[in-house]
Amino acid sequence: MSAVNASPNGTPKVGVYVCHCGINIAGVIDVTKVVEFAKTLPNVTVAQEYKFMCSDPGQELIQKDLKDGKIDRVVVASCSPLMHEPTFRRAMAACGGNPFLFQMANIREHVSWVNKEKGSATEKAKALVAAAVRRVVFHKPLQKTQVPVNSDVLIVGGGISGIHAALTMADAGRKVYLVEREPTIGGHMAKFDKTFPTLDCSACILTPKMSQVRAHPNITLWTYSEVAEIEGYVGNFKARVRRKPKYVDEGLCVGCLECIEACIFKKGKFKDEFNVGLSLRKPIYVPFPQATPLVAVIDPETCAFFRTGKCKQTCAEVCERKAIDFNQKEEIKEINVGAIILATGFKTFDASRIARYGYGKYPTVYTSLEVERLVNAAGPTGGEVLLPNGQKPKAVGIVHCVGSRDEKTNRYCSRVCCMYSLKLAHLIHERTGAEVYNFYIDMRTPGKGYEEFYDRLMKENVHFIRGRVAEVSDWAMTPEEEGKLVIRAEDTLVGAVRRIPVDMVVLSVGLEPQPDADEVRRRFNISCSTEGWFLERHPKLAPVSTFTDGIFLAGACQGPKDIPDCVAQAGAAAAEALAMIDRGHVELEPNTAFVTEEFCSGCKTCVPLCPYSAISFDTSKNKAVVNGALCKGCGTCVAACPSGALQQNLFTDEEIFNEIEGVVKYV
Amino acid sequence: MEKWQGWDKIQYEAGLDPHFGTKIASIPGGDKLLACIQCGTCSGVCPLSPYMDYTPRQIVAMIRAGFKAEVLSSYTTWLCASCYSCTVECPKEIKITDVMYAVKRMAIQEGVYPKRFPTPVLASEFFHSVEKTGRSTESWLLVRMYLKTNPFKMLKQAMLGFNLWRRGRMGVGVESIKRKDELHRLFTAMENETRAERRAGQEVRP
Repeated sequence: MSAVNASPNGTPKVGVYVCHCGINIAGVIDVTKVVEFAKTLPNVTVAQEYKFMCSDPGQELIQKDLKDGKIDRVVVASCSPLMHEPTFRRAMAACGGNPFLFQMANIREHVSWVNKEKGSATEKAKALVAAAVRRVVFHKPLQKTQVPVNSDVLIVGGGISGIHAALTMADAGRKVYLVEREPTIGGHMAKFDKTFPTLDCSACILTPKMSQVRAHPNITLWTYSEVAEIEGYVGNFKARVRRKPKYVDEGLCVGCLECIEACIFKKGKFKDEFNVGLSLRKPIYVPFPQATPLVAVIDPETCAFFRTGKCKQTCAEVCERKAIDFNQKEEIKEINVGAIILATGFKTFDASRIARYGYGKYPTVYTSLEVERLVNAAGPTGGEVLLPNGQKPKAVGIVHCVGSRDEKTNRYCSRVCCMYSLKLAHLIHERTGAEVYNFYIDMRTPGKGYEEFYDRLMKENVHFIRGRVAEVSDWAMTPEEEGKLVIRAEDTLVGAVRRIPVDMVVLSVGLEPQPDADEVRRRFNISCSTEGWFLERHPKLAPVSTFTDGIFLAGACQGPKDIPDCVAQAGAAAAEALAMIDRGHVELEPNTAFVTEEFCSGCKTCVPLCPYSAISFDTSKNKAVVNGALCKGCGTCVAACPSGALQQNLFTDEEIFNEIEGVVKYV
Repeated sequence: MEKWQGWDKIQYEAGLDPHFGTKIASIPGGDKLLACIQCGTCSGVCPLSPYMDYTPRQIVAMIRAGFKAEVLSSYTTWLCASCYSCTVECPKEIKITDVMYAVKRMAIQEGVYPKRFPTPVLASEFFHSVEKTGRSTESWLLVRMYLKTNPFKMLKQAMLGFNLWRRGRMGVGVESIKRKDELHRLFTAMENETRAERRAGQEVRP
């Protein structure tokens, strides 16, 4: 097939536009030479250079030539198509051209940024332009397809991010399914006492939002539930949600707590997850008094009835509303949604991984989350900071960067620890009058009112020692150190090693991805960063989108974040999801695979290979069929098809082979 | 009162070696040296840092800043007992003990190490003794070390030495192995080998 015949309107007219990108490209590549070379290529009718092709005047160059009928196909030699391919396609479509008669030659990332030698860089740029010109001649005038969007939303995770996103979407009139793994929503924020830097009470600002979620007519709240499976594509997802049995009917239970009182265990015996193990609970419990929904849960792992089958079932006897149901089974709910917001949050670093800080060895070494519970008025000690011996500490050491900024644990800065350490320092100092020592590497307090809070703490005479703690031990060297824990660190600003005896050590643990983050990302078909945080589409310009259309991110599942940032991101995710839903339809890229039926032998090789289940088999015709709405254009089937019956738009054999030939023939 | 030295405290750029940091960092794995965040963990875990003139953290900072003269003549590297605690605990995985060795090697090459400080003297005397006789004779090793560092200290330790000798814990004769010529042949062969290797290595490198 000759190039001329492949063109829809007779001889193809290709316009080549070479971008300087300031000095990014022009500093290494002789752009004028590339333009002169492009003019000599077959089918090229226009070749120009411009300082910034992506700018309005740059796009107008293309549009003018298209309108004047000088060109019908476009090659832009500039940067990676990731950012600006949509820009140029839009520019072509805006003046009536077909946006898919376009090809980009990446002469920035692939040439100027990785080459120093001017001559060879210019030669490579010429080869890539030649390849793009040869390829674009074979492009077909494809059309985007539109599919309608389901206006319901699934939000995974009921922490502050999920709650805020759910309320925003629900207030906009969308139906929201909020799925939370724990028996209550609230997440980590529900465990905190105060929030930095304003020191407003965490519960006072969170619990009204929690009850709003429960009462909102547009929100379906499923706690103690997990998303088991996701199918479909943007605008039309199908989710299967597994609802674990609470053994208490949510519709009947009113949260009177009498069942808990009546339990055969007269006292709590099992570690209370909500109080991070600082107190004991019974097998039937509510996580905390403001839990939403306020419904008791039976833990089958510890309940005598489930373990032995022998129990008087006093809880069920006492319940007047007959809410307790030992025969409750796991339920699977199937829902259809248009968009999904992931707000699955984080977990705190396991401090016992750093043996020299003595967590788990010395009972007076606490993690910051445990201290959050200790200072909380609704916590196990009623807000008093008490040591296991019942006394108040006289000196407290706060160790920053535990599990952060360390090649052996986590390389990143967890971002919130400096500020929460300051907050805990203030609260401990206020409640006990103890001397508080902060051991930090660098104080990181960027944020509205944050540096001012640090300033306030310094004036409150909290001690700040710049040095990472080397060791926490009970090995006394002076009489003052007897019976205390000694923190050993270099005071780097003084240049001397110091030993500071304290009664209590607080380890400011960093933030880590949830332990099952990798499983979750596979389920939702999104990407993770190397650390395991969910990956946003672009770190600056698409911070709440993912590489999977229709799935958005909110909160700390994307990276360590404090409450204001989580709420801001949750709002942004809700807005992006709303924008997508309110358009009413989504446009699908036409880079999908298609079957040429006369070549298909019906071998079914492609069917199980498709990661999106987009290929089905038509038994009447004995041919494979591709569902264009499900196909993501990954090309797996195209590579696997033994007879060449599967081809992919924008990546047909003739397009790819001609592109290769363009490079090879030039070289 | 000591002489006021305020003016001397300014470190002029002309007095620094701008390539000192990268040179030390060129040891295997040394590139991480440039990533030091000055957290002080190394000094905190170091059992000897209280005796050092500069803590290990300060040495790293001075290496990066090009304080070559101060680093090479400091006692810190010679006090390092090679316990590797700093290397194990460093959050940036800097091989601080190896850096200490690199500094020591350079100090010896340039002849600026503290010459009357016991550690380098003891090390070199030990080496010479083994090279010559195949054994280290502790009594003479100590005598030579004290003569080269602080002879008066030897007088202070004389009684202890006498007691050790009396109980047969320390001899006065020079210990030696039997076939010394074979040992010397071994050393020569090794030396030639290393030289040849070094030459080959230089040829390979562009």
